Amino acid sequence: MEGYAYEYSHDSSMDSITFSDTEYPRNSYENKNPKERGISKDKLIKNTIVDHVLTQESEFDIDDNLLYSDDEYDEDYDDPYMNSSFIEPISTIKERKGLSKGSVPNLKYECLTTQNIFENMLAKVHHLQPIFNIPPEDILILLQHYDWNEERLLEVWTDRMDDLLIEIGINPSSGNISSSINGNGQMRSISDIIENKNSYCNNQTETNKDENEEYQIPNTRTRDISFKNNFFCTICCEEKSTETFSLECNHEYCISCYRHYIEDKLYTGNIINCMGCTLALKNDDIDKIMGHPSSTKLMLSSIKSFVSKHNRNYKWCPFADCNCIIHLKDTSSLPEYSRLHYSPFVKCINLHKFCFTCGFEIHAPADCIITNEWVKKARVESENLNWVLSHTKECPKCSVNIEKDGGCNHMVCSSCKYEFCWICEGDWAPHGNSFYQCTLYKNDDNNNNNNNSTNTNSITDVNKSLKKYTFYYKMFNEHEVSAKLDWKLGQNVGNKVKELQEKLGISWIEGQFLTDSIRMLNEGRTALKWSFAVAFYSDASHNLTKIFIDNQSLLSKAVEDLSELLQIKDPEIIMKRKTDFYNKTGYVENRTFALMECGRDLLCKGICKAN
Amino acid sequence: MASLPKRIIKETERLVSDPVPGITATPHEDNLRYFQVTIEGPAGSPYENGIFDLELYLPDEYPMEAPKVRFLTKIYHPNIDRLGRICLDILKTNWSPALQIRTVLLSIQALLASPNPNDPLANDVAEDWIKNEQGAKNKAREWTELYAHKKN
Repeated sequence: MEGYAYEYSHDSSMDSITFSDTEYPRNSYENKNPKERGISKDKLIKNTIVDHVLTQESEFDIDDNLLYSDDEYDEDYDDPYMNSSFIEPISTIKERKGLSKGSVPNLKYECLTTQNIFENMLAKVHHLQPIFNIPPEDILILLQHYDWNEERLLEVWTDRMDDLLIEIGINPSSGNISSSINGNGQMRSISDIIENKNSYCNNQTETNKDENEEYQIPNTRTRDISFKNNFFCTICCEEKSTETFSLECNHEYCISCYRHYIEDKLYTGNIINCMGCTLALKNDDIDKIMGHPSSTKLMLSSIKSFVSKHNRNYKWCPFADCNCIIHLKDTSSLPEYSRLHYSPFVKCINLHKFCFTCGFEIHAPADCIITNEWVKKARVESENLNWVLSHTKECPKCSVNIEKDGGCNHMVCSSCKYEFCWICEGDWAPHGNSFYQCTLYKNDDNNNNNNNSTNTNSITDVNKSLKKYTFYYKMFNEHEVSAKLDWKLGQNVGNKVKELQEKLGISWIEGQFLTDSIRMLNEGRTALKWSFAVAFYSDASHNLTKIFIDNQSLLSKAVEDLSELLQIKDPEIIMKRKTDFYNKTGYVENRTFALMECGRDLLCKGICKAN
Repeated sequence: MASLPKRIIKETERLVSDPVPGITATPHEDNLRYFQVTIEGPAGSPYENGIFDLELYLPDEYPMEAPKVRFLTKIYHPNIDRLGRICLDILKTNWSPALQIRTVLLSIQALLASPNPNDPLANDVAEDWIKNEQGAKNKAREWTELYAHKKN
């Protein structure tokens, strides 16, 4: 945890921001506890914005403490960027924490799996057992029936427990009993007690005793598998010597029909009843019939339907093959956040980040409405833009087909060695030393008229707007593709760190700056990507939009610089340029936050709105 | 044709040998899973004296899956829509493999005797039924007269 300070040196590549020691004493990064460090970072970011970007205060008056959202979660989990045996030093996480990514401040949530939820339910059962005094698996069925809603179950339970037990099929109703008359007699006595309502408490202890006795009588005689010769099953209508199963109701069916029946029902999440009446099969029965523990499938599918029903508080992680469920305990503040154009970004234990409201990836600076609108538009227009989606471009000089397989936008044609910019396909020379402008949409009709002979001279408004969209979509797509490639790069960074360790004897912790850089690169790219959606829907003539676009350019440049840096393969050079890594990563972080806040400002002020 | 499960054969045999009063079900000769069904309107209901045509199909998964039943005769009933689809719990969520073609058809006959406008499938009919029960019943009688076969 100790030992690496953020050294924000004065670097010529960092155009607009320099971090002077007087303003942000280095101490605060070095030896404070992580939380404090994070705060000072916040201040730093805030000040940066105020100084350099907006000089507006209104929306940035967030209490520093509020910027910590998901403390508990960040620390405990591994990072896919590194080998699982590694644990990320807390300090780096906290450092990033300052960057609240346009996310809802103080969002309290937990990440669960169906298994976790089921365990919680089992704990509930355990908790209810002394009250109900019936076998745990019966409580499980009751809970399942009441959608795992403890309160509702308790309410009904106190009102009419005997009816409930029959209704849900835990106890046989008097009608279809033939063998367990004993149990039935007891049930009646319970109902008598409740009807009379005198000295309820006294009687209840009796009742409990009764019930205990009832359930201590082994049920195996009435509900179990038995082997019958020449058994006629009324379901398949076959007569055979087979194993059969029946509950207390004596509805006996052959085991293969029962298996077939249960197999289908395991995935519906509903209580499974006897095929002939309403008596419920308990988990034990199911496992017995199926011959292997299948009831967990039923329980999990029941939990799944529970999650789907309670989709205000529970959301599935939208990433493929991820089984996490995010549970937001208190959704009451969500409308307020959306009013402020914050998005409730959450992170599952597999470190998939997504927006709790709309289920998309982190889409700041765009809010959910812009995101939705953009994605819808992309879907509608994608046919027009299929060509944009192709990942290859021709070298502007020799026309050889080039596929960008990672790295920055500074391309060198492997064939003719021409250096060009991947975005604008122009010569790279002016990009290197001057301000990076390629993210700017130029409304240059004249130019295009001259260049593009296929276009008619009269460009209609529709055409223009399509062109504008095409431009932004192209930008969006570029960054998406790049982000994917960076992700791949991220997968290998663990090895890179290892290489540093092995070849140069660098400690693992010291090598973590690489991991951080990659992560920041990714976050920067994502923000950049979505910023084009915001830019598309913003009033271009407004001054704030111009500021936003400037911010975009700054982040774009920052990301490109970092990306270029990460292309370095030689471990020695990497270590030599370690300070650069720190600086550029920190810079990307600041620019990302600035862009997000600026985007939020656009949304709050109504300059950016979906149609 | 794939061999017919014993269960279907048995049920079909029993439908023929021991028919339910007021109900007929005849398997199609080309497809023994497809039944042509007639149900007599229950006495005392607006459907009295009418004979209604239905079709019934036993899906591959039968009896684990409910049979598919549909009215072919136009009928004015809150739980039966214009296409003849029937809103009946045992045909959907409450299906149990222990139920049979015969019990399903009996249930449909019972549904004719006691319409349930509070759980409607044909909303307009149900509304009519709730607002003006007598009028609705008269209309059902008219439709029976118009569209159903006559009972001799």
